[in-house]
Amino acid sequence: MPNIAVFIEQRDGAFKKVAWQMISQARKLADANGGEVWGVLLGGDAAAAAALAGKHGAHRLFAAADGLERYDSERYGTALAAFCRAQNPDLVLIGATAMGRDLGPTAAAKLGCACVSDAIGLKFEGGAWEVRRPVFAGKCFVDVVPKTAPAIVAIRPNAFMAADGGGAAAPLASFDAGQAQAAPKAVVREIVSADGGRVELTEADIVVSGGRGIKGPENYALIEDLAAALNAAAGASRAVVDAGWVDYSHQVGQTGKTVGPNLYIACGISGAIQHLAGMSSSKCIVAINKDAAAPIFKVADYGLVGDLFEVLPELTKAVRGIRG
Amino acid sequence: MKIAVCVKQVPDSETRINLAAPAAKLDQTGFTRVLNPYDAYAVEEAVRIKEARGGEITAITVGPVTVKETLKKDCLAVGCDKAIIVDDPLLAGADEAAIAEVLCAVLKREAYDLILFGIKAIDDDSGQIGILVAEKLGLPHVSTITKLELGEGSLTAHREIEGGREIVDCPLPAVLTCQKGLNEPRLPSLPNIMKAGMKPMQIVTCADLGVAPPASLVEIRQYSPPPARGACRLITADDAAAAARELARVLNEEAKVI
Ligand SMILES: Cc1cc2nc3c(=O)[nH]c(=O)nc-3n(C[C@H](O)[C@H](O)[C@H](O)COP(=O)(O)OP(=O)(O)OC[C@H]3O[C@@H](n4cnc5c(N)ncnc54)[C@H](O)[C@@H]3O)c2cc1C
Repeated sequence: MPNIAVFIEQRDGAFKKVAWQMISQARKLADANGGEVWGVLLGGDAAAAAALAGKHGAHRLFAAADGLERYDSERYGTALAAFCRAQNPDLVLIGATAMGRDLGPTAAAKLGCACVSDAIGLKFEGGAWEVRRPVFAGKCFVDVVPKTAPAIVAIRPNAFMAADGGGAAAPLASFDAGQAQAAPKAVVREIVSADGGRVELTEADIVVSGGRGIKGPENYALIEDLAAALNAAAGASRAVVDAGWVDYSHQVGQTGKTVGPNLYIACGISGAIQHLAGMSSSKCIVAINKDAAAPIFKVADYGLVGDLFEVLPELTKAVRGIRG
Repeated sequence: MKIAVCVKQVPDSETRINLAAPAAKLDQTGFTRVLNPYDAYAVEEAVRIKEARGGEITAITVGPVTVKETLKKDCLAVGCDKAIIVDDPLLAGADEAAIAEVLCAVLKREAYDLILFGIKAIDDDSGQIGILVAEKLGLPHVSTITKLELGEGSLTAHREIEGGREIVDCPLPAVLTCQKGLNEPRLPSLPNIMKAGMKPMQIVTCADLGVAPPASLVEIRQYSPPPARGACRLITADDAAAAARELARVLNEEAKVI
């Protein structure tokens, strides 16, 4: 029975929504192929997680809390590996987030099992899992088959849709997290937030990005205003980052963040191959550029040829009108 | 300080993948190959540490000997002291776990204080190797670092997370994976490229390292092109303001994305 464990990421008690996306998808696979979906929570509020996990289709929630309030790779890696040894899931799904990208390989090395990064598709066929992931920053896809059980697969946020099936809270079970209480060698001394309340690029439903066309750092406010009106994250091309107009954490592209939101609005971005690599999996792409020949229009679903300094304030106003 | 920097040669970021239909293999002949951009941050950080404290830097790579030029220009000519290439046909198609195993075999031959990686290679975008190596060697790691301060026998690193950073204290020896923002990599000078030719470059096989070629844990089925995108619909109107309003309407009523 291919049981699927889904790691539920929490930071300061707040859950990452990619967990519910993964549980929803896992439930579809379990309904088709047999097996159960298990949430796995380290630290955090188990009752709250059980309610949300159950709603999205989890059959059970395993929780451990001792020494696991805050993430570090050593304790979380030990705990997740201990869980796998005790419960033998066939597949472990983890969000491809800062935490998940660190935890996946850590736990995989402890278990000697396969680990697949940044997946966007998952199938169960002929008794094996087939995982689809973009490589070359999305210029092509590869399908891979992990040869171990468990296999750890990191799932890109927004690759799957969360579905609230209205299920009851998942029954809670605790598990022995092994030596997870032991003091780690690498200690997280402090967590510093960049700017509070900012919508995170890789998880956002909508991303508004600005390129060199914004002409100067003072005009990035045009991007941020539209982003705020849409409750979107604000991104940037590398040209804008390298000019020092915004911080690197905003960069979208082959050497920046890879995003796949429902809507990506590129403003004053030419559409260089390295930029396209980071956003071409977006479901709907809008390009605003004064050059009708800009390559960004080749990947865009909707294009507006015009001066962003005229278009953006009006667009922001119109969006505010629509969204109230 | 003995520092190892594990690097990879990758197709240039300009590379176009022309895949018309699904294929079992990706034909990579003719791709221009360069040092993985994230590895440049690891190399630069190693060189800065050496400049400040003295020491020796070994650049290590697994890959065919065609990587020599890249190692010479982008590692040895900017300050690495020697290079080790694991070139073994038996490693063709090796996955992350196998490559990590081979790197461990190389790394175990010396006692390094610090082992640096880029956060990921821009070809397979996997971002696992540094962390796998740390675990297999039983060393602590800090991944995705954007700032590093070395103390005596310890380090403090800033690790990028969503919306902020973690400040992590870690004893040496340790493994770090380097993110953009850590430093600005220098370019090699022509005289240094010439001189780099004199620096030692060792080429070894798995047999030389005394390990059997490790098994891969993941099998590749096929590569496929990403789904094609439809044509672009241009929004036009009498003036910019009207076009902006029309765009908002279309996104709301037709595409239903806002
Ligand atoms: C190794 C490597 C890695 C890279 N990684 C990345 C990456 O991760 N992300 C990334 O983005 N780039 C990356 N690049 C850089 C990339 O090649 C491009 O240089 C960069 O994306 C260009 O940014 P841009 O589109 O903002 O600027 P430009 O190419 O200069 O385009 C500016 C656009 O703005 C338009 N414009 C100007 N004024 C206006 C106006 N008033 N109204 C409307 N439109 C206007 C112009 O028509 C033009 O199309 C990388 C390059 C290399 C070599």
